[in-house]
Amino acid sequence: MSEHKAGSTESPWLRRGLIGISVSFLALLILMPIAAVFTEALRKGVGFYLQSITDPLALAALRLTLLTAAVTLAANLVFGLAASWLIAKFDFPGRSLLLSLIDLPFAVSPVISGLIFILLFGANGWFGPALTARGIQIVFATPGVILATVFVTFPFIARELIPLMQEQGTEEEEAAILLGANGWQTFRRVTLPNIRWALVYGVVLANARAMGEFGAVSVVSGHIRGRTNTLPLHIEILYNEYNFAAAFAVASLLAFLALVTLAAKTALEWRIRAEQKQLTEEL
Amino acid sequence: MAIEVRHVSKTFTKFAALRDVSLRVKDGELIALLGPSGSGKTTLLRIIAGLDTPDPDTASVVMVDGDDISQRSLSDRRVGFVFQHYALFRHMTVFENVAFGLRVRPRRHRLAEPLLRKRVNDLLELIQLTRWSSHFPTQLSGGQRQRVALARALAIEPSVLLLDEPFGALDAKVRQELRRWLRTLHQRIPVTSVLVTHDQEEALEVADRVVIMNNGRIEQQGTPDEVFHHPVSEFVLTFLGNVNLFHGRNEGKVFARPHELDIDREILDPAGVPAKIVRIQSAGPVVKVELVGEDGETIAVELTHERHRELGIRTEDRVFVRLKKALAEIY
Repeated sequence: MSEHKAGSTESPWLRRGLIGISVSFLALLILMPIAAVFTEALRKGVGFYLQSITDPLALAALRLTLLTAAVTLAANLVFGLAASWLIAKFDFPGRSLLLSLIDLPFAVSPVISGLIFILLFGANGWFGPALTARGIQIVFATPGVILATVFVTFPFIARELIPLMQEQGTEEEEAAILLGANGWQTFRRVTLPNIRWALVYGVVLANARAMGEFGAVSVVSGHIRGRTNTLPLHIEILYNEYNFAAAFAVASLLAFLALVTLAAKTALEWRIRAEQKQLTEEL
Repeated sequence: MAIEVRHVSKTFTKFAALRDVSLRVKDGELIALLGPSGSGKTTLLRIIAGLDTPDPDTASVVMVDGDDISQRSLSDRRVGFVFQHYALFRHMTVFENVAFGLRVRPRRHRLAEPLLRKRVNDLLELIQLTRWSSHFPTQLSGGQRQRVALARALAIEPSVLLLDEPFGALDAKVRQELRRWLRTLHQRIPVTSVLVTHDQEEALEVADRVVIMNNGRIEQQGTPDEVFHHPVSEFVLTFLGNVNLFHGRNEGKVFARPHELDIDREILDPAGVPAKIVRIQSAGPVVKVELVGEDGETIAVELTHERHRELGIRTEDRVFVRLKKALAEIY
């Protein structure tokens, strides 16, 4: 790893100093808290730890978190692809407005995003009474949790894809269509392979956010134990009840999911690098 | 198959790219659309391909082999299109790029795999890239990529072949090779072809017929000989090559190309123009002499090496420039 990149002329001391600063910063702000989570989780012993994470309420929260993440990813995959395709490959009135709208969830606080759904679907909201009359409940139920999460995470995939698709332009698609391909064949055989890595990367980011989302979900969920609590909400409740060891045990579960996501992302980056290396070596 | 374009206009937000253009391309002909950038030549090509639609007008028609193409879907038209920047599918090998048009056919028209491989391999042989069939576009040179793009377009046995500045991104030597290769290819496979270029030399060398465009209109069309020797306007004359302008005494403007001028040490012709030699460039098939006339205008003259030796001229010499014969007189 001591490979010296051509063109970097800094003295070894400066380099070591910079590396030292970055490593201590990471250790202080990232590694220590993660270590603390796992230590605290195991404070009352392995038995208590296992009991905490297999508690029915914890498992219900885990199930809801995974379900929310899965539905969110599916929805945002479709939306992200459609929006990026539209914005990158076509010019239409309102294009820049759509682009700004995609960024909206990044711009507003998640709490406000949650409140929007209360305002729309709550008991006194715009559509609330009509939906209640038909026996459909959105707020303080799973649909509300999913809607809020979809809203908060929808920029991730589109934001990854739009710059790439704009850079790639439309010529390959035009070529495909003139060669006789229909719309689906063009998308499946030309567009999708060109954006596949950016797409997976966007999915990974969106997934991390979907599983960890707190603010918006907190507003719409109503904190009903065993029904509308996701993992982050469950952790907060345990913590507020001074059940620290259990809170940290469940937190370690969430941290583990985050690490899995991170590992997936890293594996992906390796794969991309290996592919590029292979290409340049053949040249 | 013949192409016919009648009364086509195209306006992009307030910019008229094409103004009432009509054009016929005969079956098997190779024509060049020649013009400066912004003259509308690429727009016309994209309209023939169906990638752009003309402004709505009841008189406007685009037909390929007697069929109104606006009635057909893009993928049914069998148009071979070659892009300036190749537009090869970057994640596919050379073989798969060429095979693409055959693979996306509806199932009942699709070739069986062995037949498909034969067709693609024949094309790879034609473009001399058999050895490269499993390489990716990024591993090829510009000239090789453009040949792949051509083979890919030919694979679908197109009714017309449209080329948008196909050699524009290549260096001079490769351009020269590919031009000659395209000419030979067209003799072997005489598909009706339209080549868009801003390079007059390319147009004159490759095409059966040259269509010169300017400001969204067709200025002149004819064989390379006709347009070069009988330009109908000052634009065509100046666009087709280096030209000198002399203000005649009574008869208005006189134009002459560098090779139609000669240099004398003494005034032999009463119409000779006194000038001073600025630069002599003798590396090449002809000797290019740059002079400045009395009123400060630049004059370019091309001499044969024999004539140059005979005259023994040097820079700073004061000489007289004489017309061997006037090429064209306008006004």
